Amino acid sequence: MLGLRRAKHHGFRLSPNLLFHQSTRHIQTATVTDADIARLACQPLHPLTLADLCKHGHPPLSEQSLLNSANFTLSLLPARLAHRIQSLRSLPYIVVANPNVSKIHGNYVHSLSTLLPYAERRIETLKDEVEFTAVMADLVQTHNNTISILARGFLEARKYITAKEVTRFLDEHLRARIGTRLIAEQHIALHFSSQPHNDLHESAHHIRDAQESSYIGVIDTALKPAHIIRNCEATVGEICELKYGVRPTIKMVGETETSIAHIPMHLEYVLTELLKNSFRATIEAGMEREAIEITIAPAPATEEQTKTLKNKAEQMIHDHVGVISNYDQGSVDYASGGNKPERASAGNIRALSDSTPGVTIRIRDRGGGISPENLTKLWDYGFTTFNEDEINEKTSSSDPAGGMDAVMSQGGVGGGISLAGLGYGLPLGRAYAEYFGGGIAVQSLWGWGTDVYVSLRGVGKV
Amino acid sequence: MINICRRPSAKLSKPARCFRPYSLANGNIPPWRPSNVLDEWVQREAHPISLRQLTFFGRTLTESRLLSSANYVRLELPTRIAHRLRNMQTLPYSALTNEHISHVYEAYYRAFETFRKVPEVRTLDDNDRFCEVLKTTLKEHLTVIPRLAMGILEIQDSVSGDECDQFMNTLLRSRISRRVIAEQHLALNETFHSPWHFDGKKSGTAPEDEFVGEIFLKCNAKEIVEKCASRASELTRKAFGPDVALPKIILQGHLETTFPYIPSHLEYILGELLRNSIQAVVERRGAGRDVPPPIEVLICEAAQHVIIRVSDQGGGVDREILPYLWSFAKGPRRNKRLQNLGKVPRLAATMQELQIPPSSDPDSAEAGSSGEKFGSSLASLSGRRPDLRLGIGLPMSRIYAEYWAGSLELHSLEGYGCDAFLQISRLGNKNEVLSTRASMDAV
Repeated sequence: MLGLRRAKHHGFRLSPNLLFHQSTRHIQTATVTDADIARLACQPLHPLTLADLCKHGHPPLSEQSLLNSANFTLSLLPARLAHRIQSLRSLPYIVVANPNVSKIHGNYVHSLSTLLPYAERRIETLKDEVEFTAVMADLVQTHNNTISILARGFLEARKYITAKEVTRFLDEHLRARIGTRLIAEQHIALHFSSQPHNDLHESAHHIRDAQESSYIGVIDTALKPAHIIRNCEATVGEICELKYGVRPTIKMVGETETSIAHIPMHLEYVLTELLKNSFRATIEAGMEREAIEITIAPAPATEEQTKTLKNKAEQMIHDHVGVISNYDQGSVDYASGGNKPERASAGNIRALSDSTPGVTIRIRDRGGGISPENLTKLWDYGFTTFNEDEINEKTSSSDPAGGMDAVMSQGGVGGGISLAGLGYGLPLGRAYAEYFGGGIAVQSLWGWGTDVYVSLRGVGKV
Repeated sequence: MINICRRPSAKLSKPARCFRPYSLANGNIPPWRPSNVLDEWVQREAHPISLRQLTFFGRTLTESRLLSSANYVRLELPTRIAHRLRNMQTLPYSALTNEHISHVYEAYYRAFETFRKVPEVRTLDDNDRFCEVLKTTLKEHLTVIPRLAMGILEIQDSVSGDECDQFMNTLLRSRISRRVIAEQHLALNETFHSPWHFDGKKSGTAPEDEFVGEIFLKCNAKEIVEKCASRASELTRKAFGPDVALPKIILQGHLETTFPYIPSHLEYILGELLRNSIQAVVERRGAGRDVPPPIEVLICEAAQHVIIRVSDQGGGVDREILPYLWSFAKGPRRNKRLQNLGKVPRLAATMQELQIPPSSDPDSAEAGSSGEKFGSSLASLSGRRPDLRLGIGLPMSRIYAEYWAGSLELHSLEGYGCDAFLQISRLGNKNEVLSTRASMDAV
């Protein structure tokens, strides 16, 4: 199911899993030394923008564009992986020694080892490019379940590390992970929707699909939030019927035909998590007859606005005002003392004027709200809300998610079936929303319901 | 430094009540004063108080209670003013020589001198004299807020935005606190002297029963929202013409909720929020075209607090001013704000001409609220024309909300509208939020 879902989102039918199985034994690796890691980690991280992902053009790409994409990807990934490894290594020894955390560390080292053979080389031929894409597929596949495995690891090692440290680490790590996967998946998607070297009759209709589609790799330039919301409503609604016997409804208001350029996978993850929360709260408060109101509000952008923004850019940097900027949050890396957000945003303020503002989605439910105690723990990675029995149950069983909660979870982007119940939904959802300059804000009206505001940026004219 | 030997002795011998307008030939440099007096008062701690304490204290009013209230106020006021004077003294020199900030500084210093010299209140006569002093000073300080706001906008080159905001927040918070305890004492004094007050007994029949001094025990959110809504609509009509299509204000939720609060505070906050919403909707839709989308006000009650949500479809907050929404140090619209502040009525008035503007809808129950009686500075601000955008409504409202440990949040859906969330503590048992002494003199 995992593979199919991914394929659907990329707009093509071949699954990267297939590619992975075909080529595993052909992937070269090189030994990763500490010196390699140190060298790569010193390199500054390139803050990623949606424009970066789209700059190679609309598929099907020409051979040269495809090679450009491959080389661009190659220029970004080793440094990112090295930063991740260093970041993991800066955790307490006893934590990294935990088998689960250690496995993740090993995965990153392995992935870096597959990229090292390309060091100093550029990808000049299509054959190289195919091999490189196989390496990318391997990367994506290997790290599918990072989050759930890390979660178990941290849970098991909770005696040796504070919840606050874990939150800090995960906030940074998961954001970086989003970026790394995105870069890899984008290249894979572009590869499969281009296929200049393949047989024309087999993949003819694949390519035609790609041409007609609004997709550029994993980005859908004509993504309708309303469409995603309806999909999520169906999925989550079904689960509710299964578990509770009732299904809340959604009422959409505002400009429902709005479309933006964004990544469907991400949006779907965010909305699913939020709807899960809303639906469950609504049902448990006995308010399933009250429709959950979702407002879709596209933000306007005028020529004048973008011009003024450009002028104000310098002033804003000077004032150190917090601006919603279009920078890659994954580039903030505490381990290497890398770019602080202010500096990163200063370097990228220009990108802000190139992007159109996107859309704000407001989800209003009557589920009774979030209690003041839980409100303080809302953005933690679920570490503080368990009691010892629950933890033992979760860490000892081979299937980390019990019973119905497993059915409630979503595969794909989350990279595992055990997220629900571990309290990762909100912080992870926020990481996705914030990734290109959006965000999630939660306002609880205790005793009435909750309002959630999801703001997203688009990429503008591509 | 020219001023050192200017007239310290002259100042000491001046009677406390003589308020000679302050001016210096060579600019607004404040005169030097011996600092040991101020130091002494700065050393003291302020004693914050809660709504509930104020209520219980005032419920059974005896002569001795009245006198002890007078003494509490007599000592608290100079202590709190001293703390703020010290704050101002540690601002950069260039900030304090700004004309507006200097005016406020001088006013505060005069008030400090006045209050610190009040002897212990032992009799009702002493108390009466003290109340006169209170009233006069309250009146004199009516124009502090616009003055400060203008000063802040002007000193932005020498003081950073953050520091300005912190300074304003501290000052305004303290100002609210001083006025609350002063006005509360004056209201209690009046209750004590009113014809149906029986010493030591709570009158069961008078409408004043529901008021303890300034505090209205049964603030009903619905009524206050309706009152503010009609006032804001009136003002908008005045500005945009009588034909303008005004959005309807729809109330939902727990409409019967009541809680103890100071009505003038709540009216100010809700007034600002509703006025912002109505204006935004009217400006967005263009006067008199299609039916404007309604403004939805939700009242939600929980055990410990009440939340009021004001939701409009006025187009949201412009992205370029969003970072400055809660700040007194404005960004792109600074100059316009400065101009507008200068036009606020009562700003240019001299003390002799100060008059209380007639309130648009004097409710019989509200007549007891001292907001109308003792000259509320809020009244002059709230009564301004709606197109006179001052840029201080939101940050001020937040300070008022946070004063009794509540909160004010705003979420903007850009291009669509805004949701404002006002949270009020219901039990009245949270202490005032004051800036502590420790945070002041720390070096």
